[in-house]
Amino acid sequence: MQTHLLLSTLFLFGAVAFSQTIIPEWFEELPKSPAGTQFAVGYSGKYVDRSLAREAAASLAISNMAKQRETRLVFELEEFADGRFRLMNPSFELSYDETTILNVLDNYTVIDSSITNDGYFVLIAFPKIETRIRFSSNDKEWGERPIWTKKLPASKHYNFGVGIVSNYSSWVRAWKDADEYARFDLGKNSKIEARSIHTTKRDNQYIIESKIIHQSFDEKIANSEIVSRWYDTKNDVYYSLCRQLR
Amino acid sequence: MKKLIVIALLIPIAFMLMDCGGKPKAKMNDIPEWYLNPPMAEDAIYEAGDAAKQSMGLAKEAADARARDAVSRTIEVKVSNMLKNFMQESGIGADAEALEFTSSVSKQVSNNVLNGARIVKREMKTEGAMYHAYSLAEYNLNSLIQETVDAAKKQKALYNEAKANLSFDDLEKEIQKLDAVGK
Repeated sequence: MQTHLLLSTLFLFGAVAFSQTIIPEWFEELPKSPAGTQFAVGYSGKYVDRSLAREAAASLAISNMAKQRETRLVFELEEFADGRFRLMNPSFELSYDETTILNVLDNYTVIDSSITNDGYFVLIAFPKIETRIRFSSNDKEWGERPIWTKKLPASKHYNFGVGIVSNYSSWVRAWKDADEYARFDLGKNSKIEARSIHTTKRDNQYIIESKIIHQSFDEKIANSEIVSRWYDTKNDVYYSLCRQLR
Repeated sequence: MKKLIVIALLIPIAFMLMDCGGKPKAKMNDIPEWYLNPPMAEDAIYEAGDAAKQSMGLAKEAADARARDAVSRTIEVKVSNMLKNFMQESGIGADAEALEFTSSVSKQVSNNVLNGARIVKREMKTEGAMYHAYSLAEYNLNSLIQETVDAAKKQKALYNEAKANLSFDDLEKEIQKLDAVGK
């Protein structure tokens, strides 16, 4: 009995420790940046040494800003199915130029930061803002499910992409992947090469359908911002929305 | 003791048998309405795809890919019908060269890059240990018109001088009547 109680407590603690409940407002919805600048968010998990947490969060924010400015995305997916088995092989490759990240490193401003029970969050601006912005935000719990998690926003001015991930033991890793998948989704929504072969074999008893699907794209994406995030606390699913000006 | 051993052996066998019913099936109430009845529009193609995988990410990618593949195949049919109608109205008929031209242009267009084939709706359901993803792709037909004209012009060389009367101005006018084709 005592062993069961101990195991249950440990499981509950693990679930709470690795989930994310309190976040700064600007983590959920990226604020509008002043003309000529861009905002980006960085985050890190719990650290005993707070300065290390701040350093990790700032490093991620700089990396995210560089990816926002320009990144090369290479996506390829193949699916083979012949009625007996089905194989699928997607591949994702993301890269960005070293000079971009060095430019950001030399010329950014920390606008706001927040420490919660889950980790450290930082909001940066690039290029550097000389006049300090008075920025006040509240730490809050996740809001209601936004519409964009089910229906892609329609806009004449922007392209959008949504990233969805689930079952991650680390929320930091989950958001990194959700953000990247959102970027890839934006790329695929803009332009993708699609080829396929479908065959149907019929005899007196059976119909066997086979197919080969191949889809790919290789593009540089510029000015793609992660503008919204939402975490489904009930089902442990992370959603990111990426937006790019057309 | 023997009874305990028998029971201990039967319990896992019972669990195995419970799991032998194959993959769990989607409940009808869980299937999105737009998957069963995709929207219709004069100036866009809508096609749905779905996939059930143990990984949510893989289910999403597969469903998206299948929805886009369905768009690609619909485009091939639409373009083929467009061209066949034009051929008939032009009096060219269904000879081998005309059919080859039609087929070649259709395949070229459908195998090209899809510009703006967006996944506009998604639903994710759980079925036992599997994630079942549903995706709806939307493709605006305005870009299809230009791609078809461009592909047809490239294939004009398939025709000999006897068929030189093929007027691409007339073809463009026919393609503009997109709403009357393929229905």
